[in-house]
Amino acid sequence: MTTDRFEDLLRSTLKAETEAAADRIADLEDRVILEIEERSPKLLWHEWLRQLLAPTTGSRIGQLLVVGATAAVFLFVGMGISSNLLRNNASPRLSLQPVRAADGTQEVLFVLPAMDAENVAVVGSFNSWEETQLSDQDGDGIWTASIPLSPGRYEYAFLIDGRWWGQDPLADEYVQSFGEFSSVRYIGRGGDEV
Amino acid sequence: MYRAQDEVSLLRASLQGDTSAWGEIISRYKDAVFGLCLGFLRNRADAEDLSHDAFIRAYVNLRKYNLDRKFSTWLFTIAANLCRNKLRYRRNHPTGEMPLHLQGGKDPAKVIDKEDQHAQIQQALTQLPYSYRAPLVLRFYNDLSYREISEVLSIPEGTIKTRIHRGKIMLKELIEKERDPA
Amino acid sequence: MIRHRQLLVGFALVLLLGLAVTAEIPLHEFEQALHGIPVNDIDAMLGAIELGFGQPDFPAEQLLRLIDRLAGRPAPAIEKEAVLRVITHAIEEGLPIEGMVDKAFEGLARSVPMAQLENGLQQLHILLAEIRDLLYSRGIFSAGPGAQSTAINALPIERFNLLVLHISEAIDSYLSGGGSPFESQLLFEEVHERLTQLQGVILDPMDVELVFERINPSDLTQVALTAVS
Repeated sequence: MTTDRFEDLLRSTLKAETEAAADRIADLEDRVILEIEERSPKLLWHEWLRQLLAPTTGSRIGQLLVVGATAAVFLFVGMGISSNLLRNNASPRLSLQPVRAADGTQEVLFVLPAMDAENVAVVGSFNSWEETQLSDQDGDGIWTASIPLSPGRYEYAFLIDGRWWGQDPLADEYVQSFGEFSSVRYIGRGGDEV
Repeated sequence: MYRAQDEVSLLRASLQGDTSAWGEIISRYKDAVFGLCLGFLRNRADAEDLSHDAFIRAYVNLRKYNLDRKFSTWLFTIAANLCRNKLRYRRNHPTGEMPLHLQGGKDPAKVIDKEDQHAQIQQALTQLPYSYRAPLVLRFYNDLSYREISEVLSIPEGTIKTRIHRGKIMLKELIEKERDPA
Repeated sequence: MIRHRQLLVGFALVLLLGLAVTAEIPLHEFEQALHGIPVNDIDAMLGAIELGFGQPDFPAEQLLRLIDRLAGRPAPAIEKEAVLRVITHAIEEGLPIEGMVDKAFEGLARSVPMAQLENGLQQLHILLAEIRDLLYSRGIFSAGPGAQSTAINALPIERFNLLVLHISEAIDSYLSGGGSPFESQLLFEEVHERLTQLQGVILDPMDVELVFERINPSDLTQVALTAVS
């Protein structure tokens, strides 16, 4: 098959598969606008986190829920910070805009909700797997640390009162080493903003 | 009401909080965004979800959009990034998903010749690594230029050309292998 | 008064000397650290480390820290030495060891048994060597340290080492996660994904394209099989 014919076939395939599924987006406008216009719930967002994010070494479903819920909450928080949809005072620490130095080093935020923990730390390839403490100064159960990282790939995990928690909801991906999960973040890739 | 309005007015109005104006923007771009997501993710439900998320995120970040820049490129960049994140997440949480060419209740036994070609390409596209598939979708579904693709995927233009060239070859090889597994 | 001045000058000299020396880590600090384990075959190891000093981007400080941390572990010295030996062998072969050092740190942090740690490092070691050979066999070479490319596919060694490192680590990660070496397409996808993520960030885009041009899925399967057998 000549290149032109193959390209035409590729084009028509992509077009056909989109059209075949068009019903999925028939009322997309309405759904999006509905979500935009809805006011934030009275329930403080971090209470959701508390319910959903008690760390466990538990089931995959539990972890998926955690990840999904946290991702949803963080998107929501991001929306709130960006466009004042939230009325409450969202924590100023949760700035989702990483600050870049001239050499590309970024202050990278590590965040973990852990309501009943006394000590939360992060270990990873950026600190030779030696503990960097997270802090929860206002006692709301959200532990944070800001770590300067130069561009590259980093593996890490959290330690919650000495227990390993390898799946950071904010990670770019998960890997397994020595039979346990670790989280991965890629720092410095252009176009990751927005 | 908004039919006649040009895009810039709609975007300005959206920035002011006019959600109907944003709704009109969505109408104009949803096929393009959905097709992009479907091409990248090879799954209808995910494509639907991410199309939704893309328009939410674009609205929320509209303040950061530079009106001099082409809107579609900016929008597609948002969608592409969301898809890439989804794929990374999916790699660590595999689900047994039905192949795209069988979704929608198609009976594989009843596929006729022309559809069969489509189904073959769909299947091959799904097997193609994302880095090759994404430029192909942006080129042959969204009709973007090499420069625009380069912006959307944050990859040098020369690399895009190579990926598209090699991607087409790999697609053909995958189709051949499917026809003749020996 | 004179004595005070002599003391001050002496003190200043010592300070200056200290400053000059901390620019690099002196070999005797490694010797001390190795004694802390204690290591039997200390001369061989010191020889390897000295070789390492001559290599670009050699992670001297990290290695020293690793030796110290190993020393502090409750485990037979002979097992710790075995772990270190995998790394020093890699240094002798001119392979980039930062991935191995990091893996060792992680293993120690996770309290992995020394034997398992040694196996894990050995797997990565083999991958590094095999990947380097694979790149060479496909015409991708390393030029001398800091050199500009003289031949088209001779990369400065720092860039070459980064390719070796990240390809090997991607395969190592894949295998450690239970991936099968025989699933060539999946394995290739893993490597492809990682290189793509880092392309233009810490990996030169053209270098990455060169790899994709020359290496195919079945090559990676061969390498992976060597590492697991």
